Amino acid sequence: MRDRWSMVVLVAGRELRDRLGRPSYYVIAGLFVLLILAFGVGTRLAGSSAPGPVDVAVTGSDAGAMATSLRAAGRAADRTVHVHRSASIDAARQSFDDGDADILVDTDTRAMITADGIDETEVALVRQAWTVTALRANLADAGLDAAASARALQVQPLDVTSRTRPGGADVTAVVTGTLAAALLFISLQIFGGQILSGVVEEKSTAVVEVLLARIRADELLAGKVLGIGIAAIAQFTVLVAAGLVALVIAGTDMPGAIWTAVPMSLVWYLMGFAFYAMLFALAGALVSRQEDAPGAAAPVTTALIGAYALLFVIAASPDSTVARILSVVPPFAPILMPLRMAAGSAAIIEIVAALALLVTAIVAIWKFTARIYAQVLLRRGSRITWASVWAIARGADQP
Amino acid sequence: MLRVGAITKNYASVRALDAVSFTVDRGEIVGFLGPNGAGKTTAMRAVMGLITTDEGRITWEGEPIGPAVRHRVGYLPAERGMYPRMKVRDQLRYYTRLSGLTGTAATEATEGWIERLELTEYASEEVQALSSGNQQRVQLAMALAATPDLLLLDEPFSGLDPVAVAALSDTLRGEAERGAAVLLSSHQLDLVASLCSSVVVVNHGRVVLTGGVTALRAASRTRILQVTFADDTEWRPDAVEVRRDGTTGYEVRLDEERDVRGLLDQAMDAGPVAAYSFRPPDLSEIFLSAIAAPEST
Repeated sequence: MRDRWSMVVLVAGRELRDRLGRPSYYVIAGLFVLLILAFGVGTRLAGSSAPGPVDVAVTGSDAGAMATSLRAAGRAADRTVHVHRSASIDAARQSFDDGDADILVDTDTRAMITADGIDETEVALVRQAWTVTALRANLADAGLDAAASARALQVQPLDVTSRTRPGGADVTAVVTGTLAAALLFISLQIFGGQILSGVVEEKSTAVVEVLLARIRADELLAGKVLGIGIAAIAQFTVLVAAGLVALVIAGTDMPGAIWTAVPMSLVWYLMGFAFYAMLFALAGALVSRQEDAPGAAAPVTTALIGAYALLFVIAASPDSTVARILSVVPPFAPILMPLRMAAGSAAIIEIVAALALLVTAIVAIWKFTARIYAQVLLRRGSRITWASVWAIARGADQP
Repeated sequence: MLRVGAITKNYASVRALDAVSFTVDRGEIVGFLGPNGAGKTTAMRAVMGLITTDEGRITWEGEPIGPAVRHRVGYLPAERGMYPRMKVRDQLRYYTRLSGLTGTAATEATEGWIERLELTEYASEEVQALSSGNQQRVQLAMALAATPDLLLLDEPFSGLDPVAVAALSDTLRGEAERGAAVLLSSHQLDLVASLCSSVVVVNHGRVVLTGGVTALRAASRTRILQVTFADDTEWRPDAVEVRRDGTTGYEVRLDEERDVRGLLDQAMDAGPVAAYSFRPPDLSEIFLSAIAAPEST
C-alpha cells in the first residue's frame, strides 16, 4: 500500500544524497568556516595588539620634572612613554618635525603641540603628567619637602568595569544576532538557488513527467524541500558553531540571551528555509530553461534581500514599533526575529505569533505551489508570468 | 482492462482530444498510431492523470485511475525523463521505489532489468554519459521494473538499433503473456503490424480507425495486384491507375469487386509474366488512407 510519507522520504533522500555528493557543498561550508574564524582571530588581534609607545619631546626649565611625571603617568596607564629632552625649543621642533615625537611640550610657555590625528588618550596622558608636575612645583613652593609632596600626590586609581543597563540594547548581542541573520540570508540564497535550479532541471529534462506519473505534486515538493533543507541546516549548524568559536576566539563576552538564541536561530532557519524554498520552487516551475530562472525568481529574491536590508534598520532599534511589527510578518520574520531574540528584546507573545504566522504561511504556500506545480510542470516553452499564476490556481488558464 | 471513454481535452483554441475512446485488454498489445500532433501523447498523459480532461472517463478494471492504480502502470514518456548526473543503477532503483516497491524488492527488480536489458556495463555510470539508445533502454527499464499491470509506452522504439528493437519486441510480448495490457505508440508501422494485435489510429484528436490488424487488412475494400514481367514491358490496362516500379514491375490498386482475372489476362497479353501477387493492403497503407480520409462531421 502506498504511503504518502514514504514517498516524501524517498524524494528527500535522493535530494539529500545529491547535495552531499557535490564537492561544492563542502567547499562553500569550508570557505565560510575559514572566513568566520578569520573574523574571530582578526577581532582578537585588533583588540589585543599593544598600543605603540608615546613619543613626547620636552623642553624648558621644568623638562626634567615633566619627564619624570610622564614616565610615571605612562606606568599608571600601562603605556610606554619615550621622552625626548631637547635643549631648546628649536631642537624640540626639529625632533617633532622629523617625526621622532608626536607631542611637543614647552614647560616655559606651557604650550603643547600635537600631531594631526593623535590618539586622545595620549593627549590626556600628557595633560595628567603636566598637572602632576605643576602640582609638585606648587607643593614645593608651599614648603613641602619632596617626600611629603610625593605622599600628597599618591592616588589609588579607580577600578573601572562596564555593565549593560537592564533593558538596554546589548551591542554584542545585536552584533551576534546580525551576523547570525547574515549567515541565514547567505544560506537561504545558496540553497534557495539550488531548489530553483533543481526544479528547472526536472522540468527541462522531463524528469517531472516521470515523477508525477508516480507521486503527487505536493509529495514531490515536500520531499524536495525537506531533503535540500536537511543539507542546508547541516551546513548552517556548522557555520553557527564556527560563529560561536569565533566569538570565543575574539574574546567577546557571550550575552546570556545567546544560549537560547542559537538553538532558536536553527528553528528560524528551518522555518525560513521552508518558506522561501516553496517560493523558489514555484518560481522554478514557471520556466523551462535555466537562463530564465533568475528572472522568474526575482520577486522571491527581492523579498529576501528586502528582509535582509531591514535587518540593519532593525539592528539600530530592535525595540521600536516598526521592528516589532515587521519581525512578526512571515517574509521578514525568519531573518528579523532571531536578531531581536539575540538582543533580548522580543516578547514571548511576539515570538509565538511570528512562528504561528510563519507555519500557517508555509502550509498555505506548500498547497498552493503544489497545485500550480501539477498544472504547469508539463508546459514547456516561454516563461509563465507571476500574474497568470492566480488564474492557473483557479483553473481558469489554459496553455 | 484499460477503458478510455470519450475523453475530450480543449486547449485555448485547439481541441487536442475529441471524444477519444478505446480499450486495451490484459494480454493485448495495442498500437497507438497517428501523425505528429494527433493527440497520442495528450491521451497517454490523460490516462496517467498528468492532465485533467474536460469530459470523459478513464478506468482500469472498472475503477477510476487514482494514485494507487498509477503505481501499477509502467509509463514511458516520449521525452527522456532522467536525472543527467544520477547513476543508472541509482536512477532505476529510485523510480522503482517510487512505484511502491520496498527496498529489497526494488534492488532485485533493478538488478534483474539491468541484466535483461544488457545494461550491466553501464550500471555505475551517470545517465548523461550513455548513448541515446542506451538511455532509452534505461528509460524502458524504469517503466518495466515494477512489474506493471498496464504499460503505456510513448515511442518506445525511438533511438534503438534493430537488434535492440527485436529484443524489446520480445520483452513486450513476454509482458503481454504475463498478463499486462500494453499500449504503445510508434511511427514504425511494420513493427506495429508484427507486434500488435490491434491498433487505434488518431488524427486531429479523433479516433479515425480502430480494430485488429488482421481484421482491418481483411476488411479493407482495397486490394493490391503486383505484376512482374520477365522482360521490359509496356503495360497499360484499361480503366485503372498503374504505378510502375522499375522497367518490369507494376502495382495496381483496385476495389475488391474489380475483375482481377481480366486484368491478369491483359497483363499476359502485354508480355511474359514472371510473377504476380494479389493481397490486401498492409498496415502502413491502411494507416495512410485512414488519416487521408476527409474528416466526417
